[in-house]
Amino acid sequence: MFYRQAGIHHTTYRGDRQLFPIPFDRWQLAILLALALAAPMLLSSLYMKSYVLPWLIWTAAALGLNLILGWAGQFHFGYAAIMGIGAYTAVHATRNGIPFEIAIVLAGAVATLIGCAFAITALRVRGLYLALSTLALQFVMDWVINKVPAVSGGTQATIQAPPLRLLGMEVTSDAGLYYVVLVWCVLVTIFMLNLRRTGLGRALVAVREKDFAAAVIGVNSFYYKLVAFAMSSFIGGISGAILIFTFYHAVTPEQFAVNVSIQVLAMVIVGGLGSVIGCYFGVAFILLLPGIVANLIFAGAQAMDLKIGIELLAHIPSFLYGILIIGFLLFEPLGLAKIYTNLRNYLIFWPFGYARK
Amino acid sequence: MYRKLKLMLGAAAVLLAAVPAHAETLRFALCYDLTKAYTFITPQVAQAVKDYAAVLNLKGGIEGNPIEIIVQDHGNEPQRGIECYEKVKDQALTVDFLSTPVSRAALPRAMKDGKVMVQALAGRGDAVDGEVFKWVFTLGPTYWGQAANIVSHFKKQSGGSLKGKKIALLYIDYPFGQEPIPVMQELQKREGFELQMFPYPLPGSDQSSAWSQMRRFQPDLIVHWAFSAMHVVASKEAKRNGISLDKMVTVNWFNETDLDNIGHDAAKGIRRSTTVTSGIDNPIMKDIIRELYDKGKGNGDRKFLSDIYYSTGLAIYAPVFEAARLALKADKGPLTAEKMRKGMESLRGYDARGLLPPITVTAKDHGGGGRTRIEMWDGSKWIPQGDWFTDYDELVWSTVKQHSAEFAKSTGK
Repeated sequence: MFYRQAGIHHTTYRGDRQLFPIPFDRWQLAILLALALAAPMLLSSLYMKSYVLPWLIWTAAALGLNLILGWAGQFHFGYAAIMGIGAYTAVHATRNGIPFEIAIVLAGAVATLIGCAFAITALRVRGLYLALSTLALQFVMDWVINKVPAVSGGTQATIQAPPLRLLGMEVTSDAGLYYVVLVWCVLVTIFMLNLRRTGLGRALVAVREKDFAAAVIGVNSFYYKLVAFAMSSFIGGISGAILIFTFYHAVTPEQFAVNVSIQVLAMVIVGGLGSVIGCYFGVAFILLLPGIVANLIFAGAQAMDLKIGIELLAHIPSFLYGILIIGFLLFEPLGLAKIYTNLRNYLIFWPFGYARK
Repeated sequence: MYRKLKLMLGAAAVLLAAVPAHAETLRFALCYDLTKAYTFITPQVAQAVKDYAAVLNLKGGIEGNPIEIIVQDHGNEPQRGIECYEKVKDQALTVDFLSTPVSRAALPRAMKDGKVMVQALAGRGDAVDGEVFKWVFTLGPTYWGQAANIVSHFKKQSGGSLKGKKIALLYIDYPFGQEPIPVMQELQKREGFELQMFPYPLPGSDQSSAWSQMRRFQPDLIVHWAFSAMHVVASKEAKRNGISLDKMVTVNWFNETDLDNIGHDAAKGIRRSTTVTSGIDNPIMKDIIRELYDKGKGNGDRKFLSDIYYSTGLAIYAPVFEAARLALKADKGPLTAEKMRKGMESLRGYDARGLLPPITVTAKDHGGGGRTRIEMWDGSKWIPQGDWFTDYDELVWSTVKQHSAEFAKSTGK
């Protein structure tokens, strides 16, 4: 009934290789996109500004990390540092009169450059050692930002981002900022969806599965790892810049500290390694759920007129949130994306579930 | 018949007009970090604010309007702090984050939306400059001011001259700890003392290298910029390196928990810079104890009352409530952000019945004057070393202006 496959015949290679061969998927996507476009009209500004906007930016960022972690199988504990490089580059560039459009490309480029410089040394080791050396990238960047006043902006360590100007127009309205973010997130998503169909994507997967084996079949694993680092740094750098210009409006070191790196990593892992839709779920889970759970608990306590101390009240959500993470990972270790896939598979055959066997 | 109806309607109108305007609930939002990095202070501050609001409510609120305190946890995450800000900004008169990262992230929004933001002892120090940070109120000294006052205190103690004295600045090596550096360096030039920096890395549990250098330096005064458990580590290291704690003056973040952890005898002689009268021996505290805690209606554990962070909470919110009162007195009708800001800027010599140094907030100075005093622990109680004072004001303000000008330039205003 849902996801009807009857009557779909591919007579061309092109048709066979399209992203979404099942019309139901395409419809779903079209509706979601339409909803996304209409969101500023549908949702209150509170939800737009404090939930939807950060959700989309962090999803774009998490997709970049997923490229290196999920596709190429390389650990990266310094992703927040990469985002920070992009953010600082873009802020300093625009403050020195460079237009935003160029500054943002510059942000990506500088992040790529530094990310690659690090990767060239870091990629000589594998697995946990790589994880540790990327963590070093994080600490080096933290140190540089904290110690170089020219970067951090002196003892206050806060630099205001100039208002976002796009093609000569100042974007200040909530809806305007949202559309900037939406465009970036959709662009990254399209790129990631297409990546898996290309030779590059397949090479990355080959490297992920076993880099020796990949080398045997003629895939230069070092080169592809480096390319993966470069691409993910580019996405991370631009996402960091967009995060500052559309959401924080000021850049400070702790916005890109080591705990943020761990947070993005958690988004990707909880969402599902190597899954695009998983990033959307993972970001919602890690970034938004703690706040939502806290609000629910708080509203509940108020409605029932419970006299709980504020401290305890603040800790209950953290406790529940921990249970939720453990629960979801027990229920489906492959992440939220796998739950989605299971559901979709179930619906493809529904109501003739026996046909699956 | 028609005339009768008209008469009745007229009478009703007169009656309605005679009834006073409906009292509005005055809301103040505390978006605090109750679960992560700032838990060493936020519970006490929130408890103090809720207690003081409860006492005022028992007396009929502020000019007859009840107070409501909104408390929400943001877990020190800027994103959640912004969510909290967006949620409360239209219902609360003031919003307060008590976290440097979250304050920094929310400040541009408060400035853009025109909402009163309370940002005492956290966030940007230059926000004390009311001409640039029109909507931000620091209601207390800057760290620059605290550092200058500590040096001034030491100068008085050393008989009016610091020539040849050795001062060590011991600090946790991140923006909070680095903040006093420019002021200390400038004072070194003016007063001719010898200054040396002793940074130690986060999380502050390892200070051994700083202290072994300290032993070689043999300072006359150690100015310590740290908080919470770092004080305990520092006191151990001081002992190990044979440096007496009576040479140390800490920033205002040194409370009774730290004292307990060091040990009351071991901590003898240590001094701290304070922004508020410590202890429970003042009229507001007595009110709170009599009206709430003696009746079992307190908003938290009674043992926190003697914690200086509880007093700090009162010190921040007594002026805020007073400002709301002034605003309501000056202008009837619902309080808006604009009126609240005006109320804040009309605080004149307010000392919360002796709890605070007199605070005068103006459109230029959102800090209230920046007075502090130094207290010394004598083994059983804190002894104030002299009266509330402030020194090197032009130096502190030139530092403030230098930073706020940078902000003003970047926002294009």
